[in-house]
Amino acid sequence: MIVLDRASLRYGPILGLSPTSFELPDGGGITGLLGPNGAGKSSLLQLVSGLLPPSGGEVRVFGEAPFRNPAVLARIGLVPEGDRLPAGLRGDRWLSMMGALSGLAGGPLQEALARALETVGMADRAHLPFVRMSKGMRQRMRLAQALLHEPRLLILDEPFNGLDPEARLGLMDLLRRLAAGGARVLVSSHILSEIAQLTDRILLLFRGRLLAEGSVLEIRHLLDRHPVELRVAGDPKALARWAVEQAELAALRLEDASVVLSVRSPRDILPRLQQAVADGRLPVHALDPLDLNLEAVFQYLTQDHL
Amino acid sequence: MPIYAPTLPPAPDLTRGQPPALVLMRFDLARLWRQKIGRFFGFAFLVTLLVKLSIIYVKYLLGSNPAFRPMQDFARAVLAQGPDFQAGLLNPATTLLWFLVALVGGGLVARDTLYRVRPLMYAHPVRPRDYLLAKVGFASALPFAVLLPFVLLPWALSLMVAGLQGPVWPTTPLRLLPAMALISLLMGTLAAGASALAATPRAGVGWVLGLVLGTSTVASLVHGLAGIGSAEALNPVVLVQAWPALFAGVAQPLLGWVPTILGTAFHVVLWTSLAARRTRPSEAVI
Repeated sequence: MIVLDRASLRYGPILGLSPTSFELPDGGGITGLLGPNGAGKSSLLQLVSGLLPPSGGEVRVFGEAPFRNPAVLARIGLVPEGDRLPAGLRGDRWLSMMGALSGLAGGPLQEALARALETVGMADRAHLPFVRMSKGMRQRMRLAQALLHEPRLLILDEPFNGLDPEARLGLMDLLRRLAAGGARVLVSSHILSEIAQLTDRILLLFRGRLLAEGSVLEIRHLLDRHPVELRVAGDPKALARWAVEQAELAALRLEDASVVLSVRSPRDILPRLQQAVADGRLPVHALDPLDLNLEAVFQYLTQDHL
Repeated sequence: MPIYAPTLPPAPDLTRGQPPALVLMRFDLARLWRQKIGRFFGFAFLVTLLVKLSIIYVKYLLGSNPAFRPMQDFARAVLAQGPDFQAGLLNPATTLLWFLVALVGGGLVARDTLYRVRPLMYAHPVRPRDYLLAKVGFASALPFAVLLPFVLLPWALSLMVAGLQGPVWPTTPLRLLPAMALISLLMGTLAAGASALAATPRAGVGWVLGLVLGTSTVASLVHGLAGIGSAEALNPVVLVQAWPALFAGVAQPLLGWVPTILGTAFHVVLWTSLAARRTRPSEAVI
């Protein structure tokens, strides 16, 4: 669905996105675009959504270059960052105009409006002017305009900014439903927990470079410079005696009622640990991987590229 | 191994809608219609038009009613019916029109800048030239639509009450419609260009008025200090007054044909290119 082949973006002398290559396959699903502010997330989204041509390389969406390509743009829904909308304007009038810009008219436009508003839960409040809508409502209206023409690719730039927890959860649920319905959803955020809650598939950007692509576990396993930390609760001394005999052990830290093992290849050591516990040789109460999450992956990757 | 779609996936039928430029123009018109400013200017132009029509009717009475015969010489001196009168049909509407263009046109592009609507539009099948065409087109169509009754109604009234001998020449629409088109284009491009420079609609109003007054001042300074009369071709207010006079055949117009054409072309090209530059997709960052 999306193919970037050494695509880069320059803003004059500033490099917004270094030559980047990745592919997202067709079909539904959510992909998180993760990175701190200034990482190049918006630049990448501008390329994919056809707002800007790449300064170098190639961008293909649905097999074609998206820039100024109505055939591709008609299949993309974009929700840019921010929630500023013409204050005095009624939501339904604005939506109607956006639908007409997508080429809808008459009955199909009215049907699309009703369907999009129903999807985002704004059917009974769309007649309000934007100034009387809450931030969450305005975000839903922005999402509705992106859904009017039933896009196969939905792009959202920092959609959770400024939303309260309830609205955030509601929006996440909505995005999951859209992805389950067959749409590919590309969501950018600089908040790790938001992406972690939403999806396991990530594109990780840092300082204009794509650092990693794939699931959190896949990426974590590739980070062999950083041993995986496992907290094993049980008899610390017995666990330490067992651990020091293992070739994969990189470091060991004793705690009150547990031991933290840094291991290079958890896939090799975990079956042996499991066997030892099953044989009754090790008194283990709990096993907790400490850095197999998105936050740790992000931290390791960005540390390596500082 | 993922299987990639070899061709574009099916999409809903989006071909029945109107061209994007027309959609945007209709949207701006509907917004203006709902605003108080539209009603205010509608009233102001209506009053001006009624005064114009009254003058024409009075001229007809003076010419046709024996009771007013003693006043005819005086009326001929005061209410001339020559080219000046024909060109004057658009005055003072054009002066008032500058304020309408500033207040409405100043916000056309700036409002989209403030609310960051352009990225959304360009993410739809809307090309930058569609957007520019919509904004310049609306800013130009508005003054043209306002001026139209100022030519057609007096002309029709004159024909009805006095036939071909009426105060308004039968050929006046043919002379003034091209002038109106050029005036409207000048006003529209200037308003769109000024609005593209502004970050808010209010600032856009300021930019339009500032540019009109600023170029007028510069033109007057050059004219006064260097004695170059053609420098007034930089002044958009003078250009707006010059076109009807030229087309109506006024004996001593404010500017000749060449300076008026060059001045108008300069403004149209400058402000259109500026608006195009400021509304490029690269300016519409997410």
